[in-house]
Amino acid sequence: MVDTTTSTGSPGSRLLGLTTLVGLAGLILFAFVLTEPDVRLHPTTGEEFGQFDAVRLLYLHVPMAVLTYVAFLTCAVASAGYLLKRGVWWDVTAYASAEVGTVLCGLVLVTGSIWGRPVWNTWWEWGDVRLMTTLVLFLLFSGYLALRRTPAEPQRQARRAAIVALVAVLDIPLINRSVEWWENRTLHQQSTLAELKIEDLTLFTLMLGFVVFGLVFAWLMLHRFRVGWLEHAQAGHEVALAIAERHAEMETLDVDEAIGQTGGGK
Amino acid sequence: MADPVDEESGEAGPLDLTPQASRPQRRARNPFSVVVLLLVVAGIVFVLLRTLGDASLFFYEVDEAVSVRAELGSERFRVVGTPLPGLVETRLDGQAAVVFTLCVADVLADVAHLGDPAELFQPGVPVVLQGFWVSGEPPGIGSLPSAAEDGWYLRTDHMVVKHDNDYRGADAELESCGVGS
Repeated sequence: MVDTTTSTGSPGSRLLGLTTLVGLAGLILFAFVLTEPDVRLHPTTGEEFGQFDAVRLLYLHVPMAVLTYVAFLTCAVASAGYLLKRGVWWDVTAYASAEVGTVLCGLVLVTGSIWGRPVWNTWWEWGDVRLMTTLVLFLLFSGYLALRRTPAEPQRQARRAAIVALVAVLDIPLINRSVEWWENRTLHQQSTLAELKIEDLTLFTLMLGFVVFGLVFAWLMLHRFRVGWLEHAQAGHEVALAIAERHAEMETLDVDEAIGQTGGGK
Repeated sequence: MADPVDEESGEAGPLDLTPQASRPQRRARNPFSVVVLLLVVAGIVFVLLRTLGDASLFFYEVDEAVSVRAELGSERFRVVGTPLPGLVETRLDGQAAVVFTLCVADVLADVAHLGDPAELFQPGVPVVLQGFWVSGEPPGIGSLPSAAEDGWYLRTDHMVVKHDNDYRGADAELESCGVGS
């Protein structure tokens, strides 16, 4: 049965999209207007210090980083599912989450770099273990996406991509634990949430960021999954059409004439 | 279409229609995808080489940097510590420099940083500096309220600020350092 759906939208996805837009607007309002800049008085020097207005970028950067993990872990679970079950649903889910995750990971690197210039005094720090492992993750999944674009028989391509995803995702624990394991090799701070060193509106805005980027992720996944599903259905439809055309040709073809055309049968 | 030619007789022979195993079809390579894949692999190799090449550039704490001073010699390294109150703006070898004292716990080290310091650089906020040990005293050290004055100083030219993980505003805790901390 050929899927004749031509749109990735549905009433549910439109509602989700609208909620996401409203959430993004709310997050921007809280992050860039309602929360206070990070300014503290130093107990010894009495001077103001902190991240000042640059801290506002963290309300976007940190949730995007967490959703990057979620996307790539989804990809890994779906890849494992594909290797076990060989179902198209798993493969399409893995491809969709890898694509969404790569976009989010790219944004994490960009927003982190923009934030790092005023706060750290550098756009990029070679040798910072968290930056390096995040860049490696981005490159690994860029490679995954490139691999999916190389011409190959679909099942073989899906299998190869699934194996790459399961290897690439091993980088995530390294990124997450790097600030604890290699404390003296990173400029990144240790976990704020684990030690509850955040409160009030700052905490609320960060939590709002997680929810809103969760919605962004869900909306992107939904549409990318549907695009993938339509692509799969389209490929199946084209094969079915080609087979039907060959059958039709066979029925109308004069065999003797065909042999004559190829120069045989003399 | 002409009949195939028999190689021995040179005459046209009948077409061989015996079923034969099909030759494996060569799949067309997409050059763009292959180039992207190669670029990604090259990127990963580059990043790994840079990271491993920088393996010696982890941050020493000030006390560690002082204790391994003889081993470090004139080697460049990174050191993390907290600047103590009191900065002297001066010139060193014709360049603008900031002289201050760095500390971790009660261990001190004098620093002459060449070039502009970081925007958020100020006493009490930890920094990571890159440079090497120099024997002697930097200019203006006598004006520092609590200099190490141990006959050595760090000559640095790269400074980044290392912020903490506390976002509780006025309730935030800070690690203090310096003599008597």
